[in-house]
Amino acid sequence: MARGVMLMSGGIDSPVALHYLLRQGHEVVAVHLDNRPFTDDSPLGKVVDHLTLLRTRYHQPIPMYVLPHGPTQVTLMRNTDRHVGCVLCRRFMWRSAERIAEREGATFLATGEALGQVASQTLTNMRTATAAVHLPIVRPLIGFDKHEIETVAKEIGTYEISTRPGVCCQAVPDRPATRSNLIQILGEEQRLDVDQMVDDCVRRAVVL
Amino acid sequence: MGAAVDRYRTLRLCANGGGYEAVPNREDRVDLPRLRDALAGSGVEVVDARVMLIARLEAETTISQRGRILIKTPDVALAQRTLARLLGVLDTVSASGSARSSRSG
Repeated sequence: MARGVMLMSGGIDSPVALHYLLRQGHEVVAVHLDNRPFTDDSPLGKVVDHLTLLRTRYHQPIPMYVLPHGPTQVTLMRNTDRHVGCVLCRRFMWRSAERIAEREGATFLATGEALGQVASQTLTNMRTATAAVHLPIVRPLIGFDKHEIETVAKEIGTYEISTRPGVCCQAVPDRPATRSNLIQILGEEQRLDVDQMVDDCVRRAVVL
Repeated sequence: MGAAVDRYRTLRLCANGGGYEAVPNREDRVDLPRLRDALAGSGVEVVDARVMLIARLEAETTISQRGRILIKTPDVALAQRTLARLLGVLDTVSASGSARSSRSG
């Protein structure tokens, strides 16, 4: 079985995707990109509780890295086209996750993405976002619909945690791009010191 | 301080139930740099993300360029107090903006 890094948001999907990876016997390291001050404390609390539940269920330690993503969002908002903000945000999340994977000796990245659920999860945007990294990406829920995911979440006990009150991400633009173009995205990133931004984020990681 | 209070008549729980949104009756562009300076001048910590400000008032509050306000607390009384304070600052900003434009006009 392989060792992978899973992006955990606190939402309904990521703990279900993690459940499938653990059920198959993979070793998983969780990474949470902490979006404060564009969210409140609730996503972090939800991820902590998801992992507590799944650690007990699968008798796995599941280390958790918390990375500060708010400063990255501020830099993106100040310097790039808001329309493609979600794709740029995802590219930074993937890059940071890949750095943690290198540190942890992981050979794949994983996410709870399901096709077409939100603006960042169109096929075009997924392709543009993941072009920033090299490791293979596993998406256990890619063909699931929301109802199927919620049914499993209720079965494994993560649904109640995911649906606790919280504040939506305030960094999402009013009209996010659903068809991003890699050339445009690379142009936007030329205005940024990408490596430095990822370094700053990963250096301040906290392991829980 | 009437103007801002009149613009914001709706305070509603946000979709995920973690905070309250104050929605202006009509969307006007907020002069975020001046609001940032006014808040900072009154000792409030502010994150300036260019298209929005995040102010550490009684409850942390996001103010968008189009005037939408999100107060990150599920406590309605705290949200109302926070909004009242913010609207007071917004009025100060609007008043000094009007005075400046009438001088330059």
